[in-house]
Amino acid sequence: MRFFLSVAVASVIWLATGSPALAHHSGAAEFDSTKKIDLTGVVTKVEWTNPHAHFYMDVKDPSGNVANWNLELASPNVLIRNGWKRNSVKPGDTVSVTGSRAKDSPYYGSASMITFPDGHKLSFLGADDPSK
Amino acid sequence: MKRPINKNRGIALACAALLSMSYLLAQTPAPPATAPTTAKTGTIGLYRNQLLAPDGPAPKFADGTPDLSGAWLGSGGSDADISNPKSLKLGDTVSMLPWAEEIVKHRQSKEDPEANCLPAGIPRGSPYPWRIVQTPTHYFILYEGNIHSYRQIFMNGKHPDDPDPTWYGHSIGHWEGNTLVVDTVGFNDKFWFDYKGHPHTEKLHTIERYTRTDLGHLSIEVTIDDPGAYTKPFTTVGKAVLMPGTELLEYICQENNQDLPLLTGPARGPGAQ
Repeated sequence: MRFFLSVAVASVIWLATGSPALAHHSGAAEFDSTKKIDLTGVVTKVEWTNPHAHFYMDVKDPSGNVANWNLELASPNVLIRNGWKRNSVKPGDTVSVTGSRAKDSPYYGSASMITFPDGHKLSFLGADDPSK
Repeated sequence: MKRPINKNRGIALACAALLSMSYLLAQTPAPPATAPTTAKTGTIGLYRNQLLAPDGPAPKFADGTPDLSGAWLGSGGSDADISNPKSLKLGDTVSMLPWAEEIVKHRQSKEDPEANCLPAGIPRGSPYPWRIVQTPTHYFILYEGNIHSYRQIFMNGKHPDDPDPTWYGHSIGHWEGNTLVVDTVGFNDKFWFDYKGHPHTEKLHTIERYTRTDLGHLSIEVTIDDPGAYTKPFTTVGKAVLMPGTELLEYICQENNQDLPLLTGPARGPGAQ
């Protein structure tokens, strides 16, 4: 119960601030929490790097045009401690992503939640499902 | 040809070895009085399901020196805004000189050294753990964040007369009872105290006080005296929590900092709108 409460508290903080907790820069300076993204596509590349991990995803719009999105996660040290592995998301995976779009770049976003076809989820910070 | 060791040199070497061994033995932590019962887990900062420190007193080495070793999470003040009254000693306020007030109004997020993968300085923290390592002559603070760097504290040392200005300055340490006191001068004027952009000058002098209040907690107070930027000294208060189940991980901020060109607007807190 304590675990779920802590996850709930983290979720509330997320909602209250509108931006993920970022270590080395202001999240609000980069992402617009009012510009939500809800994308489904195929992962093309993963960068397990600092200060943020990134994954890239081909997303097709209703007209059939494909854009390659760059989606940001926390840093590997945070992700690892919260249960991620470097191949938790890998090229070829089809995933759905919700999050916020960058203020200054059209296909760049912060991935708050990643959902796989079998229903399992990963978040910006961790491998646990904060919706539970 | 192998050089023979003369008698006096041999005795000196043997004495040095014995002294080193006795120091190491003195620095070996005393075993806990009772073995910890079932390990508890919980959230520490951003990290879920972490091993929590059991209840217990602050440990000491066999020679009585407080043992501060371990991976800690926390810092000596607010990294969002150092002037936040919740992170200041009761009654203290942060009073800037006019030039400093003006610069805070105009600083931009992308100018923050932290966003440029440069040091966060003292006492600005990060959401990542750090470790204290104690040796006879030097204490080290190893940072996972704060650009994955380190500080060295010269125990019972002296400051140079005219230190070259550096990001972390020149630190000397001593014990006052159970409190480690770290005195630092010789800073450059480059790091920001917080995301908001509070500045400092090369006149900065900090005094950090680290007290392990129990097995799992460290109290941190930092007195900041910079007559070049502030009208009076002030003291920040913070704490750190032991992360007994973690080791430091690599964090090389410079390797893929894609964020910098995308940062817009004035300097502000990590999650502020």
